[in-house]
Amino acid sequence: MRSLKEIVKSFMLWELLVGLKLTGRYVLSKKITIQYPEETTPISPRFRGLHALRRYPNGEERCIACKLCEAVCPALAITIESAPREDGSRRTTRYDIDLFKCIYCGFCEESCPVDSIVETHWSQYHFEHRGENIMTKPMLLAIGDRYEAEIAKARAEDAPYR
Amino acid sequence: MTELHNYTLNFGPQHPAAHGVLRLVLETEGEVIRRADPHIGLLHRATEKLAESKPYNQSIGYMDRLDYVSMMCNEHGYVLALEKLLGITPPVRAQYIRVMFDEITRLLNHLLWLGAHALDIGAMAVFLYAFREREDLLDCYEAVSGARMHATYYRPGGVYRDLPNKMPQYTPSAWRSEKETREMNEKRQGSLLDFIQAFCEAFPQRVDEYETLLTDNRIWKQRTVDIGVVTAERALQLGFTGPMLRGSGVAWDLRKKQPYEVYADLDFAIPVGKNGDCYDRYLVRVEEMRQSNHIILQCIDWLRKNPGPVILEDAKVVPPPRAVMKESMEALIHHFKLFTEGYTIPAGEAYAAVEHPKGEFGVYLVSDGANKPYRLKIRPAGFSHLAALDEMSRGHMIADVVSILSSQDIVFGEIDR
Amino acid sequence: MIDLLIALVWIVLKILLIALPLLGAVAYMTLAERKILAYAHVRIGPNRVGFAGLLQPLADGLKLFFKEIIIPSKANPVVFVLAPIVSFATAAAAWAVIPFDEGWVLANVNAGLLYVLALTSLGVYGILMAGWSSNSKYALFGAMRSAAQVVSYEIAMGFALVGVLMAADSTNLQDIVLRQQGGLWHWYWLPLLPLFVVYWISGVAETNRAPFDMAEGEAEIVAGFHVEYSGMSFAIFFLAEYANMILISALASVLFLGGWLSPFEGIPVLGSLFSFVPGIIWFFAKMAFFLFLYVWLRATLPRYRYDQIMYLGWKVLIPVTIVWIVVTGLLIEWRVAPWFI
Repeated sequence: MRSLKEIVKSFMLWELLVGLKLTGRYVLSKKITIQYPEETTPISPRFRGLHALRRYPNGEERCIACKLCEAVCPALAITIESAPREDGSRRTTRYDIDLFKCIYCGFCEESCPVDSIVETHWSQYHFEHRGENIMTKPMLLAIGDRYEAEIAKARAEDAPYR
Repeated sequence: MTELHNYTLNFGPQHPAAHGVLRLVLETEGEVIRRADPHIGLLHRATEKLAESKPYNQSIGYMDRLDYVSMMCNEHGYVLALEKLLGITPPVRAQYIRVMFDEITRLLNHLLWLGAHALDIGAMAVFLYAFREREDLLDCYEAVSGARMHATYYRPGGVYRDLPNKMPQYTPSAWRSEKETREMNEKRQGSLLDFIQAFCEAFPQRVDEYETLLTDNRIWKQRTVDIGVVTAERALQLGFTGPMLRGSGVAWDLRKKQPYEVYADLDFAIPVGKNGDCYDRYLVRVEEMRQSNHIILQCIDWLRKNPGPVILEDAKVVPPPRAVMKESMEALIHHFKLFTEGYTIPAGEAYAAVEHPKGEFGVYLVSDGANKPYRLKIRPAGFSHLAALDEMSRGHMIADVVSILSSQDIVFGEIDR
Repeated sequence: MIDLLIALVWIVLKILLIALPLLGAVAYMTLAERKILAYAHVRIGPNRVGFAGLLQPLADGLKLFFKEIIIPSKANPVVFVLAPIVSFATAAAAWAVIPFDEGWVLANVNAGLLYVLALTSLGVYGILMAGWSSNSKYALFGAMRSAAQVVSYEIAMGFALVGVLMAADSTNLQDIVLRQQGGLWHWYWLPLLPLFVVYWISGVAETNRAPFDMAEGEAEIVAGFHVEYSGMSFAIFFLAEYANMILISALASVLFLGGWLSPFEGIPVLGSLFSFVPGIIWFFAKMAFFLFLYVWLRATLPRYRYDQIMYLGWKVLIPVTIVWIVVTGLLIEWRVAPWFI
């Protein structure tokens, strides 16, 4: 048997009004929308975005074609062919990452002994033609050159944890 | 004279409800369901077979993608199975981090579940409010691993990296003044632990808000009370686990009955329902959110006071730290061996189960001594729940099928794998 | 002869003066709904098309205008195209008797209330025609449910309006407003409070809006009776729904909240302070409140299941109205001040 108070509340649609009050309060409160593309949500230095191949400060590319990244990639997204360069050093002739296969797990970056392949903070990329999903070595080096400052800063911040 | 026959309705693979790809063929008599036939397999990605061709660590990323709303718990199940077979135990700090992130994952899952369940039944506001909370939690995931969802953070032997000391900040823009940005960055001034703590302190009030909108609401009660009732005995027979089982009155929770990691040292309660209807399951999950909040606060406390390693130093299983790898020859060789071939596991089999937000997520691993599994079998919690959908929805109406389906918390990633 | 022509031109002008702002209001109601829903959900709604999203209805309208009107193969094309027209026509025609201010009404019919009730009942035909002519299981299902729902809540609404009729002793909408003169406490929402609430709930159910939108907002029914409609024909259904919403809001203001009357009428200081505000502004303000309430309800409440909607309409609302009609009768008999002197 319900108490009188409960019956009155039921007729007054009490709990519905309480719910309305809550959403009504929110109508007047501050909104949490981030106005993309003028703003983005903050990302950490560990963010795993688009890949890049880095260079040493003197301009020499870091990658020595050890193929650890190719071996560890779970999705088999990396394809490498290597040959000795004219100056005798070991370098890749082909370094492709198929972005459609990649699962952005970061294992390639973990495995690279020379900090060559990294995942940058950049996630706002797109393709316009068929075939652009294959990132070739020049493309990756170009991204690395473009973002080297942010890449170096992020690595330096994260180095104590690795 | 008109002939009456059963109406077959196809709840097609494309759902307005956020459950994934399910083809549900309903045989109805007017509005009442006579039979519900789920057709699954539309999201099958051959995870278990793929795992047989990859070294063990490379499958961790695939575990994330099974139940894609509660990522780290799936990883946890897999990593526990590996550790069982390897016979190693991670350091205590790693265990606390894992427990903390498991509970954060539980919050993520239950928030999404609550939002989707409320949305299916029509209350849109809860969906958006729950996602606002999820944003903060996904920022936690991103701060610790680099990815908002599929973290690939757990490794056999511990977790990959320790918790960061700084949180990323908002920057002012054309839309947001300096003052507003400073307000938004208030919670992010300290380390990740400070951020999570600030979140957990504000969270119970948020759960109160969801409850204000739903728990006493007469429309909500009319839509969920006595819908999809499963008795305790029948739930056990059907193979239910997790909140589905606890909603029916059986007090079974792996964290208490078969404690793993550091759950035995933590203080929390297990909510148990009475009637086994959708309303009870809703109440159980909401209370679980509050309990998870409590657990996370305890973990934060411990983690603050006890720095230490977060991964084993066993060089046969765990790659050495990068600084050491660049100096020591042995470390370099271990690094190379581990990232190309991976570690081998002695022949044997192991089953490890975790209390996943959906129920019992188990991984059964059979190894024949190689660097890849001989067989990886995943026991998803949702499979038995979905199988019981037919029985649960007989005699109810079409609108109730939506309530029951969303109350079962089905995610197709883990059903179809 | 000339007088006749002038009278005709004047009437056409008045019709346009009602119909065109109505169309504009309906269009911007869609934007208002999206923005208010968004604000209740702690986010911003459309804000990119035009300043603060003000050109969004224009963009939506253009889009719908250019979309192809697909007529299903085995559908009855005449009925298919006629259905949205019937829906919108009845919704628009009811505006003829709504008084916007003293003397500002297109047709000061003595049976205004009856006229409005009749037209809203005719609106059901649009739904049924749409569902049947679409030649689709889901459309028929949705149309049947929707029609049954509308018809059931018509009764509850009718009973609630009987209370107003008794209180005002007239079905002429202008007279009903004039009888509520005297300020906030003289309006009919106070003595007829349960009828007011029942009227409002029935109004929400009539227009198939949350929490009574089972017929169009659920997983299986997809979009109810207008699932097969696209392009301009869908736009007209949409317009009809919003026009109905605005009509119910207008009626609620006229019947229970005193129409164009100022709430401060009769209060010593405030009355004269606000006397410069024209009646039509008060009318719009009250309508705006009800429209906001519509969207607020949608943002907050879950949906009822279909049989629960029927149960509510027949077994809860109608008994409440009957009881309160008896109470109203007693209030009138005893000439309870200040409404029934």
